[in-house]
Amino acid sequence: MPHRELTHYAVSVVGADRPGIVAGVTEALYKLGCNIADSSCAMLAGEFAMILIVSHKKPFTKALLIEELKPVCERMAMTLSVRHLPLGEEDRKETSGEICQITVYGADQPGIVYRVTNTLATHQINIMDLQTKLAGTEQEPVYIMLLEATLPDGCEPEAVEQLLDGLKQELQVEISVRIVTPVEL
Amino acid sequence: MAVQPILKYPHPLLKKMAHRVDSLDTAIQNLVQDLLDTMAAGPGSVGVAAPQIGVGLRICVVDVSNSRHGKDNNHGLLCMVNPEIISRSGNAVMREGCMSVPDYTGDVERATEITVRFLDSQSGLEREVAASGFEAVAIQHEMDHLDGLLFLDRVISVSTGLFRRKSYR
Repeated sequence: MPHRELTHYAVSVVGADRPGIVAGVTEALYKLGCNIADSSCAMLAGEFAMILIVSHKKPFTKALLIEELKPVCERMAMTLSVRHLPLGEEDRKETSGEICQITVYGADQPGIVYRVTNTLATHQINIMDLQTKLAGTEQEPVYIMLLEATLPDGCEPEAVEQLLDGLKQELQVEISVRIVTPVEL
Repeated sequence: MAVQPILKYPHPLLKKMAHRVDSLDTAIQNLVQDLLDTMAAGPGSVGVAAPQIGVGLRICVVDVSNSRHGKDNNHGLLCMVNPEIISRSGNAVMREGCMSVPDYTGDVERATEITVRFLDSQSGLEREVAASGFEAVAIQHEMDHLDGLLFLDRVISVSTGLFRRKSYR
């Protein structure tokens, strides 16, 4: 259902972590009368990264949003980026295929993320969530990637495992595929 | 009786502790029938608790026998009055959705085997059922409603615990 009376923006804020970042940014949004429709914020290494989809009743402009957020971000030495969302982009498109959780881990090496995600993309498997971490020791770094993806209709999880089997051998990493089935209770 | 509308959060009754039932009178039997009718009307629904239809009493119905996950391991229809879990073991995570919290699902950890004791409204007798797998999850989910708990109270992870609802299978 398109929200024709609302205008949406993608706002991202990144900078050195410290207490008060979320409060600072959301205070400015609150005072502007913006709603946070969807958001994900996380500490990545020493940085804190915020990605927010915000909405405001029309009329409203990107310039107004930046005018209020910019001084807040500058005060905290954070980078700011704002993008207006065209109508139709504000809602998540759900597909009907099975959901898979894929875990990949092994000795760190260049190209793990690229090789795995490229294989998935080639088969129209859509990533919905992805996180990576570098663990282990300096001598023996271990790369860990967790992702959740939707399979195209008719694609079975076993097929995904087979798809990734070649990579498992080639990169010498562990790859497991687990099906996630939501249940209505 | 009749299909009742399912209350949705933030209706306050969904967060209240439900009261014990004293006796299986006609009103209670009618309420159980309402729960059954409402469960049958919900697409893919495997259980309903009385607070979900606006009654703060410790009654819920569960039937996973027609579901993909429970069809091979179930006790059929369970009409549970004053249910209590008397033992539990094991744990597993499932992505749960709830008619009272539309649009979202969440990963919840629950016991994989439980023994539940309740007054069976169909026979009028006290009964103990040892449930496992999906049936055990469904019973725990419905019983949570009797304590004013939603799956949102049990989501296990901040970053990946809550998901936009997809179609159920």
